[in-house]
Amino acid sequence: MEFSLILNLIVTGLITSVEITMFGALTGLALGILLAIGDIYGGRIISTIIRFYVEFFRGTPIVIQLFIFYYTIPTMLNTIIDGFTVGLLVFGLNSAAYQKGYIKGAIEAVFEDQMTAALSIGLSKVKAIFYVILPQALRLVIPAWGNEFSSLAKSTAAILLIGVRDLTGAGRTIADQTFRILETWGFIALIYLTWITIIMKILDVLYEKVKIPGIEIVA
Amino acid sequence: MVGYVGKQKKEAAGTVGRKMTDIVIECRNLWKIYGKITAVKDVSLKVKECEIKLIFGPSGSGKSTFLRCLAMLTPPTKGDVFLRGERLTREGVDLNKARARIGFVFQHIWLFRHLTALGNVELALRRVLKLPKWEAREKAMQVLRDVKMEEWAHHYPAQLSGGQQQRVGIARALVRNPDIILLDEPTSALDPELTGEVIDTLRDLAKKGTTMLIVSHEMPFAREVADEMMFFDEGTIVETGPPELFFTNPKSERAKKFMARLIKRTKRE
Repeated sequence: MEFSLILNLIVTGLITSVEITMFGALTGLALGILLAIGDIYGGRIISTIIRFYVEFFRGTPIVIQLFIFYYTIPTMLNTIIDGFTVGLLVFGLNSAAYQKGYIKGAIEAVFEDQMTAALSIGLSKVKAIFYVILPQALRLVIPAWGNEFSSLAKSTAAILLIGVRDLTGAGRTIADQTFRILETWGFIALIYLTWITIIMKILDVLYEKVKIPGIEIVA
Repeated sequence: MVGYVGKQKKEAAGTVGRKMTDIVIECRNLWKIYGKITAVKDVSLKVKECEIKLIFGPSGSGKSTFLRCLAMLTPPTKGDVFLRGERLTREGVDLNKARARIGFVFQHIWLFRHLTALGNVELALRRVLKLPKWEAREKAMQVLRDVKMEEWAHHYPAQLSGGQQQRVGIARALVRNPDIILLDEPTSALDPELTGEVIDTLRDLAKKGTTMLIVSHEMPFAREVADEMMFFDEGTIVETGPPELFFTNPKSERAKKFMARLIKRTKRE
């Protein structure tokens, strides 16, 4: 196996992994915020629906979720969805379920007095959430978000099982063809470690940068 | 002293073209019931333009709940609230608009922790009154100057002392030129040595003719600025009268006892 081919496989695989992870983490954040707000404000019915959603994605293996979205749902709808799209969808929805929990916790940590104060100056509830609650809650949630990110980045490897060649998939192809199992997996692991560490460092810097005295998690 | 403050108030009322007989806020037969607990029991009250009324009474007697009902921060169970004659307890009233016309100062201050002093004061101007940035900034700085917090404008709440925080809290309530300011024990969460600066700020407001309803136990201050005092106990107003009445000879037995305790405590301090 030529070196350029190996390099090509690894780069393409890494890009796929990064894309799915980033998409999942950011979609999860946006959706997680909506789910958290819906759960707190939405009333009983919306809150129950959100709870079912969260329980499903947190209570079943990610592989099963991929299978359901890759095989079950398209079969039912008599259509085909490609593996990469399923990956984006499932990891986005899955991460949202976890992130909703962190964000809800953070909102509840700033919630009551700040909401009352915001209403007292004439802000509407929506504006209060936007200008007062979320700026504080999102700062609090950054460390938890880092954990969610690193766990998501690793779990995307499961996408291999629906035929998408991500970084782990690239590793398998290379290992199968070169028989250099030890080196290949060592190297792949190192790439995961490197890129996850870089993002975690960026988050650390971000956390320090947006930190405001008085709004931090006191351990 | 009372006369002096009164005279200035009249002038202040004249400058904004409002009559001192205008009723700013009024509530009729207000009740607040939580399950089995009746927090506010059939309270009626009027506050007129430039008037300062002061509520005092034992803790847990429902004063804070009453004030919050009046500001429509929590809906009253029964009864009506009127702001300049407009019934706020009616279906379909835009409560956000109404609240924008009422300033509220909280016992535990509750500044927005992610915003500087200036940001706290500015927020309503920017996002409620939708003023352009420069105008909001100018106005907010002016009010911070009024409460002598200009130098601290760019500090976050956590970097300020309790007294400084509460002065920012007052500025935040003041900056929209509200019709009335409701103050819920503005000094009781502060260290005793910090209450003075907040009281001074409130005294300045009184001189400018600001309409206020204050829950407080700062008796010397009350005697100096209040037009009327109300003794609040078990969810309702037990006795109403000029400050002198309470300091000399309250009629109700409960007010008498409470005043005696307060005066004893003040002397100790």
